[in-house]
Amino acid sequence: MTTSHPSRLLIVDDEVQIRRLLRVALEAENYEVHEAASGQLGLSEAAGVHPEGIVLDLGLPDLDGREVLRRLREWSQVPVLVLTVRDGEEDKIAALDAGADDYLTKPFSRRELLARLRAVLRRTQPSSEETVVRFSDVEIDFAARIVRRAGAEVKLTAKEYDLLRYLAQHRGRVVTHQQILRELWGANAEDSTHYLRVYMTHLRQKLEPDPRAPKFLQTESGVGYRLVES
Amino acid sequence: MSTTRPALDAPPAAPSSWKEYVFSTVIIVVVTAAGLLLPESYYVSVGLIHLLAIILLCLHVGRGPVLMAGILSAFAWEYIFIPPHFSFAINSLQDGLLFGTYFVVSLVAGQLTAQIRAQAQDERRREQHATALLHLTRALAEAKTLDDAVFAALRQTDELFGAQTSLVLADDARRALVPHFASSYSLNEKELTTAEWVFRNQHTAGRFTSNLSDSTSYYLPLVRENATIGVLGVKVATDRPLTITQQNLLEAFARQLALSVEREHLRAASEREKLLAESEKLHRALFDSVSHELRTPLAVINASADSLAGADPSLSGQLVNEIRTAVHRLNRLVGNLLNQSRLESGTLKPRPDWCDVGDIVNAAVENTRDALTGHSLTIAVPENIPPVRADFALTEQVLTNLLLNAANHTPPATPVVLTAGIEPGGQRMFFTVADHGPGFSPAMRGRLFKKFIQDDTTSTSGLGLGLSIVRGFVVAQGGEVVAGENPGGGAMIAVYLPHPPPKAAAQA
Repeated sequence: MTTSHPSRLLIVDDEVQIRRLLRVALEAENYEVHEAASGQLGLSEAAGVHPEGIVLDLGLPDLDGREVLRRLREWSQVPVLVLTVRDGEEDKIAALDAGADDYLTKPFSRRELLARLRAVLRRTQPSSEETVVRFSDVEIDFAARIVRRAGAEVKLTAKEYDLLRYLAQHRGRVVTHQQILRELWGANAEDSTHYLRVYMTHLRQKLEPDPRAPKFLQTESGVGYRLVES
Repeated sequence: MSTTRPALDAPPAAPSSWKEYVFSTVIIVVVTAAGLLLPESYYVSVGLIHLLAIILLCLHVGRGPVLMAGILSAFAWEYIFIPPHFSFAINSLQDGLLFGTYFVVSLVAGQLTAQIRAQAQDERRREQHATALLHLTRALAEAKTLDDAVFAALRQTDELFGAQTSLVLADDARRALVPHFASSYSLNEKELTTAEWVFRNQHTAGRFTSNLSDSTSYYLPLVRENATIGVLGVKVATDRPLTITQQNLLEAFARQLALSVEREHLRAASEREKLLAESEKLHRALFDSVSHELRTPLAVINASADSLAGADPSLSGQLVNEIRTAVHRLNRLVGNLLNQSRLESGTLKPRPDWCDVGDIVNAAVENTRDALTGHSLTIAVPENIPPVRADFALTEQVLTNLLLNAANHTPPATPVVLTAGIEPGGQRMFFTVADHGPGFSPAMRGRLFKKFIQDDTTSTSGLGLGLSIVRGFVVAQGGEVVAGENPGGGAMIAVYLPHPPPKAAAQA
């Protein structure tokens, strides 16, 4: 964490054990933690304490987590990390479409939680306007539209570059196939996942140490891709 | 049906038709005319020829016409041939004796042959009855299901009696009568009332009887052990009432049918009993297995947490690992239970999309990393394999379960090989997972993909859901799973998924 002041976080979960666990893990990382045990309480708490990030459980007793998200998004762009017990990718995609920034499936590890949280919080931080992103031995220079690997320039096609840039701008966070397709091909190209697979294969061949077992350009089962920094 | 001639003969009591009387008269007239061609002195021979004609007639016509022919020929002979001709007078004692004897012999012969014929007819009828019953019994015995049996019995009744038949069976509660689909006519309300009367009173009724005789059909109860289990209706085409023998035969049919129905009921009852016992056994096994599978990791977590609290820093790393492993195991178990219930609730809808085969393989390998620790995993996927159309998450789960299966059922440190590719024809893609374990026992082969099935010969844990889910997820995607031998010894499971050529592959 490079932030000077502790980030205010709001945890919305009806399970007291999960709230307690998250509080311990997050306070150890110098976050300021607030709790809410239901959707309604979560919404009023969000309006009251103006958190810089929200960890939201999808399975709440009073309101469906997606409904909480929808109402929240009517007036706030605060980063939201969703917790879910469901494996189904439909639920994840639905939560992302409803405005979640990323998701985490229970049970999760502390390491995963902190990495995801850092990534979603970065969206609203001023430093997200950076011009150079590095991962592994790869360096992406947005201003010059140049990608270097171990210092040597890597030739990318325009689409490959766009795909890499989009992932890098959202690094650490999941991006759905639909988001990528809309960004790269426009609103009418949402069925072209076939192209996307091919470009991703090319990108991995050009940038990954072992393209068969990618470490950085990771696939999220049935949902999309995630650029992992380390 | 009405065009079929009834196989059973007309009843013996039926009066001879007028045709037989005319026929007999014509024969006597012809014989008499023929006698006129002979010399007058041959009148004794003419008498014997007449007698011969009578005996021959006996073989073809009934008793009435024979008696008539006997009387007619006796008087014709006496009147025309015995001197004096064309007079009923008799001159000598010898002629008188001749005429008297002739008269008596012709009558007795007629009577005797008629009796013999009646006996032969009886014999034939009995034989027909016996054959009919034999056919019925055989048909009933050969029938695989009750419906087959009823169908065979009703069709045979139709044919034998030149009739239409209808069968109604009591439902399980013995309240309502349910028509059987094999009936060749259906009961209207009035006929049904008659059938219900028969059902309640255990007595025949309907046409040709004294009860509810305005019905169009004859109804017999099917009775077993004093309980009526159904009613058989017979609608004959003719106006002739059923004879006693026909009624007896019908009753015998009804008894056989009742026996069949009851046997089927008993069989179904014992089948139900067996199923119940089976499901109870399964339930117990599942219960044991679920409690074991859930409680073991919970026990590990609990004990590890206790030990952690006991604070021996040197052990904490190992204890934490135990907890993690237990959690993964529990999580997989819950996942499998959820997947199985998704399959069974019919809510599983695959969402095929273009997938990178390497991605699927990597995800599955990642999921099973800790389970496969110690085994050497070889992955063989062609470098240039094109994207395939599949549901990523389902296919990932399929591969995960196959790898876990290989990990759990093989000795430590044995190699596991995962391959993927497109079939040479290009129509299907495949994944195979091969191991060097004991392979599948013959007893397991047929049950591999059933849920809650464990190989009894090994003592590995798990709920036995893995392969059931594999098959469910593959079939849901229009593919198939094949279990076989690994050529190098061990088990191999191959998964095939449809691989339609991508429309836009050429441009990409």
